[in-house]
Amino acid sequence: MPRPKDILARHETVLLLVIAVEVILFQVLGRNFLTGGNVSNVFRHSVEIGLLALAMTPVILTGGIDLSVGSLMGLCAVLFGMMVKLLGLDPWVAGCLAVLCGALGGAVNAGLVAGLKLPPLIVTLGTFSLFRGLAEAFTKGSESYSGFSDGFLALGNSDLAGVPAQVWILLVVGFAIWFLVHRTTYGRSLRAIGFAEEGARYAGLPVARNLSVAYTMAGAVAGLAAVILVARLGEARANAGTGYELLAITAVVLGGVSIFGGSGNVVGTMLGWISLAILNNGLTRISDYEIFGEKVSSVARELSGLLTGLLLLGALALAMATKALALRRPTKQPASDSQTP
Amino acid sequence: MNRKTFLLSAALLAALPFFSCNKTEDAGKLSVGFLLKSKGNQYFVTCEKGARAAAEELDIDLRVDGPISADPAKQNEIVENWITDGLDVIVAACENKDSLSTALRKAQAAGIKVVTYDADAQPDARSFFANQATAQGIGEKLIDTTAELTGKEGEFAIITGTLTSANLNEWIAAIKARVEEKYPGMKLVDIRPCDDNKDKAQQEATNLLSAHPDLKAIVAVCSPAVPGAAEAVKQVGKTGAVKVVGLGLPSENRAYIKEGVTQAIILWNPEDLGYLAVQAGVALKKGDLSKSAENFSAGKLGKLEIKGDSIILGTPMAFTKENIDGFDF
Repeated sequence: MPRPKDILARHETVLLLVIAVEVILFQVLGRNFLTGGNVSNVFRHSVEIGLLALAMTPVILTGGIDLSVGSLMGLCAVLFGMMVKLLGLDPWVAGCLAVLCGALGGAVNAGLVAGLKLPPLIVTLGTFSLFRGLAEAFTKGSESYSGFSDGFLALGNSDLAGVPAQVWILLVVGFAIWFLVHRTTYGRSLRAIGFAEEGARYAGLPVARNLSVAYTMAGAVAGLAAVILVARLGEARANAGTGYELLAITAVVLGGVSIFGGSGNVVGTMLGWISLAILNNGLTRISDYEIFGEKVSSVARELSGLLTGLLLLGALALAMATKALALRRPTKQPASDSQTP
Repeated sequence: MNRKTFLLSAALLAALPFFSCNKTEDAGKLSVGFLLKSKGNQYFVTCEKGARAAAEELDIDLRVDGPISADPAKQNEIVENWITDGLDVIVAACENKDSLSTALRKAQAAGIKVVTYDADAQPDARSFFANQATAQGIGEKLIDTTAELTGKEGEFAIITGTLTSANLNEWIAAIKARVEEKYPGMKLVDIRPCDDNKDKAQQEATNLLSAHPDLKAIVAVCSPAVPGAAEAVKQVGKTGAVKVVGLGLPSENRAYIKEGVTQAIILWNPEDLGYLAVQAGVALKKGDLSKSAENFSAGKLGKLEIKGDSIILGTPMAFTKENIDGFDF
């Protein structure tokens, strides 16, 4: 049985606290926050970012980063739209192909990072522009594809067993990535690479191959997120997913994954994502307030960027502070570094 | 987390729905959501002003929201949140036609009345579109204003965006038809494209001024061409002698209008557009506006024509030295 202090020091506990504070705040200040319909919306509107954050976790665990996933979403969305609308493919077939295209895009990153040993930040900064540029070139920047079948749109807009359909996909992907990271030797190797890449290589780990898998997987998941986004909006356009990569990275870092690699876990990422999703939705719940006798439309939305920044910095600072508190008097059982069992 | 803390927080969470307090909502009042394309755009801020005026008149609960900068995905989220809130009416300006239509159809399926304004959705995703102006209305207002300034005679030239632009060509066609019908003394001498570029417009205008020394007016039908033409007229030293009239935003032309280089800007009043859209949405909900209606009495705007499923705001207005300070978009 761990001591209360150690529990408090765990990053996940801090995040749960943050989430609880958010929920209470928005329930009291906003309208219709804790209603069934709105709770669905919280998750429905953020599944794409959740998927990207999940796929980003293994990459960041290796000490890498993938800035290209948002742009890759745009490219996959456009390719999907073209396959359905110009080639007349069935949307489900096209969806699978879009995921494949995403994996190919990820493989480009993988080749450059693992094969040529270029820094991930620079490689994905390049593909960040490249993928979005391709999407814009294909559509001349302005064309978009719409008019998808109702059956396909249901993926983004319907409920399955009372839960938005796409959330089930997120849960499956989430479990798969959790299993991969925490229950396989592959997952251990990711952390080993993150701690010391050279060391991992001398230890005989297939570093290049394992890195490639992480980046390719991130690409495939970006493709999947693109298909889900198109199903939700009903339109495939080159600007799909703009800025999502930074939100995904925010969720991962908020979740306690070290940006230098080596430590962190998938549950943390999920909690980080949920706290971001709640913030995003909750702010829209606070709207049309009378302030000093003057009606102000959704005063809180303007604060979205500010609050996201505060959330990230505040949660990380709080986590550091509680950890320091717990470590002040060393005990028989030192606080774990929020790592896996 | 140990069991005690878990149980405690679970109990707190379960109790939360009972703590909620309703905000400015009044039971019984109609609730209307007014969606902007972006909050950072003065044009839409002016639309909002009109919407608020209509809300006050009709005694409804108006909720205004929109993305900080144009963002179709954010618009979609706002509409979905309004659906879960069970609003009665949604009045929306769509960032792009298709991305919002899915959400608006969903709103309609949930029994919410939908009216679009400024930028339309797919026809099956809304009941009516509050249309700011028809091509004919814009073209006629442009040439009528010009005719008034030139005494209904003399040469004039048009600067357009591109020669292939569909809506600009419609306006030009309306101008030509009006000249033929009403102003026999006026003569269109040239139509020059400026590729939606202010510098190119200035260059074209300079060429026009030297090629046609008797030119009385330049009509600029795309917005970058208005300040471009004004700058040319000013530099050539023909301020006042050659009139400049065009379709554009007051903010882009304020300086030239005050100097007397540009005589008038033609545009609809966004405030009226917002007012009309909210009026129409509420009338639709109350059953005062039916699909087959041929006109609509929009409060202080009076009786407006309905063409198909668009409610026409009417002829655009002219912004001149006298009234331009009242508009900051």
